[in-house]
Parts: sequence; structure tokens; C-alpha cells
Amino acid sequence: MTVLETERLTKQFGGLTAVDEVDLAIEQGEGVSLIGPNGAGKSTFINLVTRRLDPSYGEILFKGDSIVGMEPHQVVQLGMSKSFQTASIFPELTVEENAVIAALAAEHGSFRFNFFRHENAYPEVTRVADEVLKSVGLYDERESQADSLDYGNKRRLEIGIALAAEPDMLLMDEPTAGMSPEETKSTVELIKEVKRELDLTFLLVEHDMEIVFDISDRIVVLNRGAVIAEGTPEEVQNDPAVQEAYLGGVEE
Amino acid sequence: MSDEPRDATATATADAENEVSGGLADQWASFRDREISTVLLTLVAVAVFPFLFNNYLDGYTQLATLMLIYGIFAIGFDILLGYTGLLSFGHAVFFGGAAYAAGIFSASVSSSPLLVLLAGLVFAVLMAWIVGFLSLRRGGIYFAILTLTFGQMSFYLAASPLAFLTNGENGFTSVDIGHLLGVVDLHGGVPFPLSMLVDNMVYVFVAVITVLSVAMANRILHSPYGTVFRAIRENESRAEFVGLNVWRYKLMAFIISAAFAGIAGSLFAIEGSYVPLESLYWTESGRIVIMTVLGGVGSLFGPLFGAGLYLYIENIVSGFPTLGPFWHLILGLVFVVMVVLFPDGIWGGVQYVRSRLFGGEES
Repeated sequence: MTVLETERLTKQFGGLTAVDEVDLAIEQGEGVSLIGPNGAGKSTFINLVTRRLDPSYGEILFKGDSIVGMEPHQVVQLGMSKSFQTASIFPELTVEENAVIAALAAEHGSFRFNFFRHENAYPEVTRVADEVLKSVGLYDERESQADSLDYGNKRRLEIGIALAAEPDMLLMDEPTAGMSPEETKSTVELIKEVKRELDLTFLLVEHDMEIVFDISDRIVVLNRGAVIAEGTPEEVQNDPAVQEAYLGGVEE
Repeated sequence: MSDEPRDATATATADAENEVSGGLADQWASFRDREISTVLLTLVAVAVFPFLFNNYLDGYTQLATLMLIYGIFAIGFDILLGYTGLLSFGHAVFFGGAAYAAGIFSASVSSSPLLVLLAGLVFAVLMAWIVGFLSLRRGGIYFAILTLTFGQMSFYLAASPLAFLTNGENGFTSVDIGHLLGVVDLHGGVPFPLSMLVDNMVYVFVAVITVLSVAMANRILHSPYGTVFRAIRENESRAEFVGLNVWRYKLMAFIISAAFAGIAGSLFAIEGSYVPLESLYWTESGRIVIMTVLGGVGSLFGPLFGAGLYLYIENIVSGFPTLGPFWHLILGLVFVVMVVLFPDGIWGGVQYVRSRLFGGEES
């Protein structure tokens, strides 16, 4: 089953075409990475898919239905979750509350009329939140204020928030940006583990080639907004167009 | 006090809550206890407050009543400002609007205090729906300005085009408050056991509504809404991207805060049997911001203290011999000192002192 599909997806900012007629299809259970030099349009592409930006033209299908014109929260409710480039968490809440918010949204939908119900009447929400915290290894820190975590753990929490929404597909915008080598390694392990356990489909935007080649089933290379190559890590690595545009000069 | 009656009350309330929330009693037994202790604490506080206030702080019962009324207003306002992070500069619409609605309702439909209260509450909620719907499209300073604009619009509307309803600049004088449930004269005296504490029936009525308001606010802040509101305050875009309809939750925060303003406004009309035009003026909206910040944003009880301190300076300190005429200046100084020393307001200061003395932590 095709989870995400774009058809001639295009975004123009004034005279600049940031994303140029991109056709992309991601199958259930597939781990796809989107790479390309700075300014290739990777982040714009993610922002289009998550409905942060409106496309100039083109179509985005999620599980077969068009999501163009939907609000971001509606897309998340359909099962597409996003982890941000920076640690986008709720800093003054506890680690557990951070996960609870995501679990609430997953369990209750985008809005519910329940302001006179005590939150303890919803044990399921706490259960999901705790489960997620365990899977990202932050359960022992659940009482701490999210702000007090170190950067690597903030990013793990950020991924946890995205996972607590129980997504069918996860978009990750540079999940290891700014991490130390150890933190990067454990995050990569985390992503692999989550993919294996939940059969998660993901689309990853990443600069670190080692990670990309390590965890992707397929790699899509963008340059100047357009797809210039696509294939398994080996194919992409040996593609002359990619070496020219992106890996040029690097000996592999 | 012996333990027995206290336990009986606790059990009765707990049973009532069980009916409302259905099963699962075991799981949140410990939390329910805390909810009840909050309510009991408030009950005791409002019961002894006028006695202490009148005897030791130069106060009088009418001012104590006003303090509670503005306290309710501020508690609701804090749900919007402290918890959801939205600064409204037009909450006079809901306070004054509800006061007018309650007053007009009492004069032309029914003088039953409970129905009058309900009329003001419903009016505030409907107004908040409209004003919120139009203002929440914009964030930050634009939201503040939009709400301010709606506030001033309602002031000028009440001043002249609607003067046939509101009695214009003279304020609404025909407020007619009947007996509570047809029995209790709100502007009459208090029967014996209570009269040791309070000398005025309106205070008792307002105090009971205050306790109920605190209980409601406490429940709302411990419902999923409480967590969602704080999430929106902390990181609105993340809240949207976990799949929450941020816009509708913000509208609910706005309406809920206006509902408290509506209760307070109705009580204001009932208490004074009069609605001044100033209750819609922008200074009223400003007062509630100052009271809330003074008391401590993001806390349940802080705003009550903020309202109390503000009204104390305005009404009691202003009567002091030499200092009196400078009460505005004193209020400003108190505000500056508080904001510098205790950014979390009076309640933040209380927490700080308590944690220093006892080393315990409180949320």
C-alpha cells in the first residue's frame, strides 16, 4: 500500500521554485531518506507535506486521499506525525506531560468537549504516554521539567512526542542535528528499533550520510527542488549525477 | 473541629463526584482527596475572611464581597492569561456586559438571584463566542488590540445607542433582586450560627459561588483541557503538530474565562443593585490584568489574592491619613516591587517562602 504520494508537487516563492514537480511514492513499512545540498528544497517539501505551507500546485495523497487544503492537525490525526528540526517540546511542562499531550491528541482526536472530566478518568492516555517514554528511554526522567533535559534527551523526547501520536508515518527533519556522536548513535538505534517494532514508515531528511546509508531502504536526492536520483543506498552512491551535484569530491 | 463532620462532608462530596465522573473511583482516590481539600480550604478561608478582615485590617464586609467577586473574575482571567498564554484587553465586555444583562434581566424578566446569575453567565458566554471567534484569528499584540477594540465598542454602545436599555451614563439603576429561592433576603441579616462570622447575606451568597467557582476552575485545570492549555502556551505550533485543534481549544479557553467573568459580573450587579457604565470601560479590563499578574499568573489561588490586594489599596489605603491621596502611586510601586521580586506574583512569593521554611514542594 502506498502511504504517501505526491504528484507534480510544486512550491514557488516569487520567482524561486523551491520544490519543482516532485513525484514521490512511499510504501507501507518503507524507510525513505530525502537528501540534497543546502537549499535543495528538502525542508520546503516536508513543510508542504505536513501542511505548514500551501503548494503552488500539485497533489499530495496520504493513504489514497488528498490532504491538500487540510489543517496540520487534521493531517496528524490521519496518522502522519512530524518530528522537528529543533527540539520542539513543551519546555515548562514535565517530561511525562509532554508525552501526555501527544497521547491525548491521539486518543481523543483533535478536540473534545470534556473540560469537567478529571484527567485521571483517562488512564489509557497515561498508559500510552508511559509506554512511549519507556521506548525512548526517558521513563525515569518523567517527573523532571522538560527544559532541564540535555539536548540529546530533548531530541529524544521530541521524537517520543511524535511517536505518542501513534502515527502510520513519521516525518523526521534532521533528527540528529546538533547531537554528539554518542547521542547520534543511540538515536539511530532508536529509529531502527521503532521501525522494526512498529513497522513504521518514515521519511527522513538528514545531512549525515552515514546515518542515511545506515537506516534507509531507499534514498531520494533533491537538487534545486527537483528529484535527480532515486534508489537503494548503493545505487544512489554510485549515481554520477548525485556525485556531481552532491557528493562531488568525496571519495567513497 | 472534630474529625467526624469533616469526614461526612468529604464522603458526601466524593459520592456526588463519583456519580458525575462514573467508576474508576479507586484509580484517582488520591487525587480526589486533593480536589476536596482544595474546596474545603477555600470554604474555610471565605468563612473566616470577613471576620479577620473587618477586625484586623480595617476592612468592611461589602469590600470583602467585592474582593471575592473580582477574585472569581481574576481566576477565570488567569485560565486565559496564565494557562493558555493569551492576553485579552477586553474582558470588561464580559464582566460589565454580564452585569448589564443580569441587571436588565432582573428588572424585566425575573428577580430570582439564581436566574439573574444564569442570565449574566449565558450572556457572557455568547459574547465570548462572538468576540473570541473574531479576535483569536490573530495572536499576540493584535489579539490584545482586537479585544480592547471590542471592549471599547461595547462601552460606547451602552453609553448612547443602547441607552434605552442601559440607562446610558447614569448606569443601570433599576436592578431588582428578589429573595433567594423565594426565602432568603440577600440584603438582609444572617441567622445566628453564621452571624458570628458574617453580618451580611450577600457575602454568604457570593462566598458560596466563590467556592463553587474555585472548584470548577480546579476541575478544569485538572481536566485534559488544563494540560492542553499549558501546551498551547508553551509551544503552539507543536500542539498543532501533535494533532490538537489549537484554534478550538483557544476559543474554549476564551469562553471559559468569560464564563467566570460573567458569574462575577452578575454577582457585581446583585451585590450593588446597580451597574455603573464604567464596568464596561477599558480600565476595567486593565484592572483585571493587573490583579491577575499581581496575584500570580498560572496559579489557581494567586488571582484571588491579587484581586484582594488591589481592592485593599484602592479602598482602604486610599483612606489612610497622609498616604491616602497617593494610593495610585502606592499601587504602582507595589506592582513594580512584586514583578521584580516575585515574577510569579503573590502566590509565587508564598510558594517561595513556604519552600524555604518547610522544604516541601507544591504545584
